[in-house]
Amino acid sequence: MELNLTDWQILLVKLAVVLALVPGLTLLAGYAEHKVMAHLQHRLGPMYPGGFHGWAVLLADGLKFFYKEDIIPKAADRRVFSLATFAIFVPAIMVYLVIPLDRNLIVEDLDVGIFYLLAISSVSVIGVLMAGWSSANKYALIGALRSAGQLIAYELPIVLSAAVIAMLAGTMSLVGIVEAQDWPFLIWPPGIGLIAFLVFTAASVAELTRPPFDMPVAESEIITGPFTEYTGMRFIFSYFFPEVANMVALGAVATTLFLGGYKPPVPWAPLEAVPGALWFALKTSFMVFLFLWIRPTFPRLREDQLQRFAWKVLIPVTLLLIMAAGAWVLYA
Amino acid sequence: MAVDEKDITYVDPRLERARRMGVGVGLLKGLAVTFKHLFKRNTVIEYPDEKQDLPPRTRGVIALKEENCTVCMLCSRECPDWCIYIESHKEELPPKRAGGRKRKRNVLDRFAIDYALCMYCGICVEVCPYDALFWSREFEYAEYDIRALTHEKERLSDWMATVLPPPPLEVGAELPGAPGAEVALPERPAPRVSSPAARASAPAPAPAEAAPAVPEPATAEPLPGPKRASEPEPAAAGPVPAPAPAEDPQAVYDAVLKEQLERGSSPQVAEARAKVARVKAERGIARPGVPPPMKAPETAESGPGQTPAVPAPEADRAPATERLAGQEAAQAAEDPEAVYERVLAEERAKGSSEAVAQARAKAARMRAIKGAGG
Repeated sequence: MELNLTDWQILLVKLAVVLALVPGLTLLAGYAEHKVMAHLQHRLGPMYPGGFHGWAVLLADGLKFFYKEDIIPKAADRRVFSLATFAIFVPAIMVYLVIPLDRNLIVEDLDVGIFYLLAISSVSVIGVLMAGWSSANKYALIGALRSAGQLIAYELPIVLSAAVIAMLAGTMSLVGIVEAQDWPFLIWPPGIGLIAFLVFTAASVAELTRPPFDMPVAESEIITGPFTEYTGMRFIFSYFFPEVANMVALGAVATTLFLGGYKPPVPWAPLEAVPGALWFALKTSFMVFLFLWIRPTFPRLREDQLQRFAWKVLIPVTLLLIMAAGAWVLYA
Repeated sequence: MAVDEKDITYVDPRLERARRMGVGVGLLKGLAVTFKHLFKRNTVIEYPDEKQDLPPRTRGVIALKEENCTVCMLCSRECPDWCIYIESHKEELPPKRAGGRKRKRNVLDRFAIDYALCMYCGICVEVCPYDALFWSREFEYAEYDIRALTHEKERLSDWMATVLPPPPLEVGAELPGAPGAEVALPERPAPRVSSPAARASAPAPAPAEAAPAVPEPATAEPLPGPKRASEPEPAAAGPVPAPAPAEDPQAVYDAVLKEQLERGSSPQVAEARAKVARVKAERGIARPGVPPPMKAPETAESGPGQTPAVPAPEADRAPATERLAGQEAAQAAEDPEAVYERVLAEERAKGSSEAVAQARAKAARMRAIKGAGG
């Protein structure tokens, strides 16, 4: 019984750490988004808030949103409208529970870690649909439907490419997957890992509804899609925060599945001495930079192009990859 | 909407090449472009902290050189937006010579531009014949109230300090003043005597005691602007030494032309006067000692101020004018620098803005120099 108590205590500490870590990481990634995107576009980005290169811009932004009026449209379905925020926001945090920052630095190493992760991240689709439907706004509805179509279409390549990795690793535990990966991570088995990684990255960008796959929130067409009617802190917690938090989470997942997680990039003794969490942070930063890099580079696709890309390119490719991975596991 | 991708024919050869290279290559190229920009030196100018050096012909704001304005209203009338407001009153000045007619001139009371209406077309600057309006590169004059965007002449004059000097002429360009640059303005030997009024106005107490009819003039500049200044006034220059009456008309023409040019007339005026002289010579009109050849164009050009050369006896006026003339002579002898200092002090005392005060003092000094020369 006393062992059970300590378990609870450990779990509570872990949860507190996650709850502190996620907003911190989100702020960091959000600031990086401002600055990296600005410099990619030959701008400076925020320079004033906080004094040094505008480091406090997101705090100032948050404060601004905090003071804004909370408006719920008269025709809106108030209960669903309010709940939608949580349906989007909570999964964004829950994803972090199974990501191994280091061999032992993980909230819960579930045996079905990858399954849990993909399942949890799908929940936000429901939140988006709730938000769009309850807003009583045609742009919100269009955005929600686009969003649902897109998230479902791109969840398949994500799930299938993750399945490829799970097949190769022979486990669904995320720690197990990292342990199963060896130098050279992406190249071996030939082609399969690399293609799966590319598919996963492309699908992740779509899953995050970031440019060039940002039709659900295409501001020039449908304002901010499902979040058109959201104001103040509701807007932050249903749109900005989950998007950035999910971006970091998907970067971390890609790191775990494809880039060897907390392992050093080259199996060499001095690099092995560096804490695994640092490698993990570096690799995740690289993935986040990749997402940020893609955003100002490519123009937005059309809705039909988006669907065609998912169903005609990504999904067939991942199905072929699964066959290849199966053949590799059986015969190699 | 329903256009299928395969139905689109790509005509751009670069696009065609990119298609042949495959999808991924184009994407990688795009990523390379943005990545390069990540490390390029940033050229952003952080505006309130840093300021861009704007090109010299920037249309920032229109500045007014108040002392050059003659209230001709051209700018106001040409303005497509009608955003220039001018108010003035007429002021009587003592006649040039004893017994002459009193002269009138406009004094600028208000000159305002409504920058809420102004569309920065620059027509007013172009159209001003007296170089009173200039473009300035200043642009920070935003206001919180649209009504505050109507800037009065004090503010407009302050902007004169920010006006750049005119750019140097291109190599081989014709000098301003067009044909015959050799008769340039400064060489004019005989100064105009239109200045008594202006000079009288320079010492503030003088007109008040001398001629009560003369109100305190607002501007010290003689009324006719620089563009009219090239015409001399024969009455002031004294009798023209006349050629012999029986002279050959062409010789008369040449003589008058030469004489006029020497006196600093503009070539056109000189030519016109020479022509008149020739015609008269052809018709056999005797002209010794009489300046009629010059008279004809002169009356047409200048205002009603100086019609008769003969002084009309006006008893009540004469003393005042005489005193004025005496004062003028005394002033002419004054040191130009002293004049400058005195006028500057006076203007400051009157509450004129620093720029205006300096300009007026400069103008007074210039007149003093010229006056001393004549």
